[in-house]
Amino acid sequence: MAGLREAQKLATRGKVLAAARELFVEIGYDTATIRMIAERAGVATGSVFTTFPSKVSILRAVMDERLEKLFQELDAVAPHLRGPTVDRLCSILAVHYDFEMRRPRLFTAFLAANFEWPDGEPVITFGRQPRLNGILRDILDTGIANGDVRADADLDLFIDVLLAAYGFNYRLAAQDGLDSTELSALMDRQIALIFNGISARRA
Amino acid sequence: MTMNHIPAALMALAGAPMTRRGLAKLRTRETLLGAAKRLITERGYEDATVRDIAKAAGLSTGAVFANFTDKSDLFHQVLSEDARVLAETMRQVAALREVGVRESLLTILASGYAFHLKQLPLLQAAYAESWRRDPSGEAAARGWTRQIIAILEGVLRQAIANGELRSDIDVELAVDLIWRAYQSNYRLAIYDGFDLDALTGRLERQLDLILPSLVLRQAA
Repeated sequence: MAGLREAQKLATRGKVLAAARELFVEIGYDTATIRMIAERAGVATGSVFTTFPSKVSILRAVMDERLEKLFQELDAVAPHLRGPTVDRLCSILAVHYDFEMRRPRLFTAFLAANFEWPDGEPVITFGRQPRLNGILRDILDTGIANGDVRADADLDLFIDVLLAAYGFNYRLAAQDGLDSTELSALMDRQIALIFNGISARRA
Repeated sequence: MTMNHIPAALMALAGAPMTRRGLAKLRTRETLLGAAKRLITERGYEDATVRDIAKAAGLSTGAVFANFTDKSDLFHQVLSEDARVLAETMRQVAALREVGVRESLLTILASGYAFHLKQLPLLQAAYAESWRRDPSGEAAARGWTRQIIAILEGVLRQAIANGELRSDIDVELAVDLIWRAYQSNYRLAIYDGFDLDALTGRLERQLDLILPSLVLRQAA
């Protein structure tokens, strides 16, 4: 019967995640309560807690789940990337903005959660998703092979600064109403500036 | 009522005649701000309750609400006072005029690291809060940041005037990037235990990434 229980648990998990995602997008992570999530999912509040230890862990699971979709979109774009390394980087980050700005509230909640989670909770860390960073890394490695990027450039540091700029731009979306096109345009200027630091053809 | 939003130091500077009652109220406010800062730093925002803050200040919970709208207002005032102190510190460091734009930026921003490293949980709460501010909170916070940004922009403009940096650079964009890199490093302090040296060393490498495109090309 363990199998049945497992299946039930999985079903609850799926319902809770779907309900939570909807609520986080509709009313925001902070306003959404575990009770509201349970109600929307059609499960008891108690069973939410047996599936997830905290609200922030639900958020983490929702964010992990979204990654598959994002990877699909990035994988679809990757083969079509052409031109200089700097343009490729701009394209990839534009895909990110386009993707996350469909549910800006969710991503903003994720960024906020990066700075506060309960003890013992696995860390949600913006900027440390290995596969996403790997995509940027591949573009830069290709750039080195092409002679666009200096071979001795500190690529991890570059990616880190890139993502710092990328992440903080969401503040402008949340507070100033910038849309994904405007965010990408700003990011393009930021990329151009820091790319100079690793460019083999430094201006 | 408006007194709530004027830092004590400014009140003193203004030389406004203070009634004894006004003075007592100001002192209560300062005591509460001090207690709030201490408790939030020790326990984090959530675990520092209004009750405990009042208790630590040797005052009643009512005293908190007589001086602040709520806990978030109290927190906001703590951050506001901190921002004022930090901007002043950075201004003093900037006045030392280190040689070269890189050294100047490093020294100024390292003073920021030194300041916040002493109270990381407070900073952590401030960052989390920064993503859910209402427009008025955001406007206030940008006002605080603006002071520091102005100091950094001053350094770059000075370097342009000196001929160290190119005159056609986008100062705002560059400072914004430097500021973001500086801030993003706090994650390493919070989660990876980076100390002042490690943070400054990292910032140094980040500046080496950002600055080259700003530097005046050397004559061949």
